[in-house]
Amino acid sequence: MLGGWLGRVLLAATVVAAADRAGPFDISLFNTQNAPDAHGQARLVFGQSPFGVAVTADGRASYDVRITAAGLPDPSTLGRYSAYVAWAVSTDLSRWDRLGTVTNGDNTVGRAEVNKFLLVVAAESTATSPHTGPTVLHGTSPSGWLQSFLSHPLFRGIPP
Amino acid sequence: MIGGKNVLFTLAFALVPAIASAQQKPTKPAKKPSSMTGMPGMNGMPADSGRRKPGAKPAPAMHDTSSMAMGSMSMPIPMPAGMPMIPGLVGLKPPVGEFLPAKGVDPRTLPLANPTQIARLKDGDTLDLTAMLVRRVINGRAFAMYGYNGQVPGPLIRVLQNATIVVRYHNRIDLPSTVHWHGVRLDNHNDGVPGITQDSVMPGGSFVYHVHFPDAGIYWYHPHVREDIEQAMGLFGNVRVDSPDRDYYSPVNAEQTLVLDDLLINGDTLIPFGKDAPDFALMGRVGNVLLVNGEPRYSLTVKRGAVVRFFVTNVASSRTYNLSFSGAPIKVVAGDVSKFEHEERVPSVVIAPAERYVVEVAFDKPGRYALVNAIQAINHYAGEFAAEVDTLGFVTVGATPAAPSYAKQFATLRSNAKVTQDIDRYRQYFGKAPDKRLTLTVSISGLPLSLPLATVQFMNVDTAYYAPVEWVDGMPDMNWLSTSKQVRWIIRDDATGKENMDIDWHARQGSVIKLRIFNDPKSFHPMQHPIHLHGQRMLVVARDGVRTKNLVWKDTAIIPVGSTVDLLIDASNPGAWMLHCHIAEHLGSGMMTVLRVDPAEAGGR
Ligand SMILES: [Cu+2]
Repeated sequence: MLGGWLGRVLLAATVVAAADRAGPFDISLFNTQNAPDAHGQARLVFGQSPFGVAVTADGRASYDVRITAAGLPDPSTLGRYSAYVAWAVSTDLSRWDRLGTVTNGDNTVGRAEVNKFLLVVAAESTATSPHTGPTVLHGTSPSGWLQSFLSHPLFRGIPP
Repeated sequence: MIGGKNVLFTLAFALVPAIASAQQKPTKPAKKPSSMTGMPGMNGMPADSGRRKPGAKPAPAMHDTSSMAMGSMSMPIPMPAGMPMIPGLVGLKPPVGEFLPAKGVDPRTLPLANPTQIARLKDGDTLDLTAMLVRRVINGRAFAMYGYNGQVPGPLIRVLQNATIVVRYHNRIDLPSTVHWHGVRLDNHNDGVPGITQDSVMPGGSFVYHVHFPDAGIYWYHPHVREDIEQAMGLFGNVRVDSPDRDYYSPVNAEQTLVLDDLLINGDTLIPFGKDAPDFALMGRVGNVLLVNGEPRYSLTVKRGAVVRFFVTNVASSRTYNLSFSGAPIKVVAGDVSKFEHEERVPSVVIAPAERYVVEVAFDKPGRYALVNAIQAINHYAGEFAAEVDTLGFVTVGATPAAPSYAKQFATLRSNAKVTQDIDRYRQYFGKAPDKRLTLTVSISGLPLSLPLATVQFMNVDTAYYAPVEWVDGMPDMNWLSTSKQVRWIIRDDATGKENMDIDWHARQGSVIKLRIFNDPKSFHPMQHPIHLHGQRMLVVARDGVRTKNLVWKDTAIIPVGSTVDLLIDASNPGAWMLHCHIAEHLGSGMMTVLRVDPAEAGGR
């Protein structure tokens, strides 16, 4: 049992070290088979706030999302799509917050106010359509590194 | 030091050898120092001062059971709801002696602390300010603590802008102390920093401060000696400096001073402080009882539609707050040392230790508005965020309409042309290259931990993510065990590699310094730091490369983990001025340096 745990720990540690632990604001974007030449990075920047740290009334960080993308094909090459749209998606997929359109180059898209989220760039019918199209780039908010350890014997019995 | 990209691996090696420290063994009782002057950090520099050598073994655990109300080995630390202590930490204690105020004195014999009283002083007036032992009753339980003039918070000093007052300070507590006038651009020798501007005032001693108030706003005073104990135990008070301009603030129906603070209490017992060095050195002591003006329940009654101006000061050792009033509209008016260029509506008020904000709130509907601190905690075991809401008190709104109504004034967002004109003189410097670059980090050695391998592994992976701002202490057991003997918080000069008090930093009076501070996320335990500069004023001109749109003069600025913050310092005031983190335990673990502003006529460097 510990072997499985240890394996998971070492795997997670290796992945984090490889990512050079860029800090709490950086997101590496990975491409999909839909756009194998695409790549990108995102950075979360606190929105303007008189207090220096922009948060919602319930304490969620309020970030402007900056996306730098390259290698995105014309969206029409993927089907009947006219734009790439960035979405902040809650980890249970219940919430899709449209951040804005993404093109090759630097983009400051909208504001993400979700504790943990998937950052998805997808081809969509229009810049304002609901999400239906294929994903071309994806990443997770840095807080996605937070993992549940409740299944480990050490923490057995701790309520979730 | 532990740091760099291999943090996940090096941490394991740093912790495992500490198993040898075997603190589970009984140890001899601590030998009581003959006087407080023997306590490191008590007379000038903190316990750190670079004396601890890397790899040096921590001192053996000491307990001084006489000051404890419960069994020595089992002093548990209050854990967040639903979270047991980390396996492997149960039964451990920080490797320091214990300290609580008024040891051996029955709290019932001490005078009951009074609420703050207003001390209105005119230019040239004198105030006697005595730090003394008091009895405070919190949630029905009496504790021996400290207060200025028997009050918690200390007297609210009210003066007119440009007044100079004389404060005859008397130390009647059981520790050396001083008074620092936070945010006030006064003469350097009145700044209250032991080892820099004065010697500590020993118990029984006195010191005279001449305090000049050049800027309107809300300021505060507190000791600059073992803040982790003295300030936490009640030594803090506000100074409100009024502008002669009657229209300086908008008209309101009421004004309130809110002093935010927290205490760490387990049942009937205050968790003792580290006697020879601060404990809770990693995150600072985050209390579990939240206080407003020294009391657990704030209350205010106003009429319907009342607009209330709140002068808010965070005097907590470590906690950053996110305050709101059950959705009542909030307008931010002023910060530490000036008004904002433009008033703004805000969803909540984020305030780090030592910061001040002036906000106005409109209470439009009859009923009860809760004053809450609402934050997102992290459950490290579940790997999830958890919303936490602490209710600090209530504003009760009656049915009778407030008269006069200031609804119209509240709805107007003022622009403060005088503030903008003042700042305009500095705009030419906003884009200049930094004159000084500092990096914030931490080094840790010999934590007295004896952890099962699986716990070490858990912590290694858990530390893969740090929030830019940690609102609460998610691992108080771990934090408690860390003292400034193991933890050294660092301000590093990028140009020279020098750290903390070894940094040689001079500027000429009248110069404008662009200071770039980077809070390095690649360390064992990065954390946000409220960085405070004494005796000057500064602007936060950019954060992470983004120019600040609405400026305000500050003396304390929060630097989130991973952020780069550009500060523009108006070095107008000659003298030796501390720049330090205002988390008391970080300061007590070395996180300070000095900016020496050389008088203009002396040429300077
Ligand atoms: Cu700090």
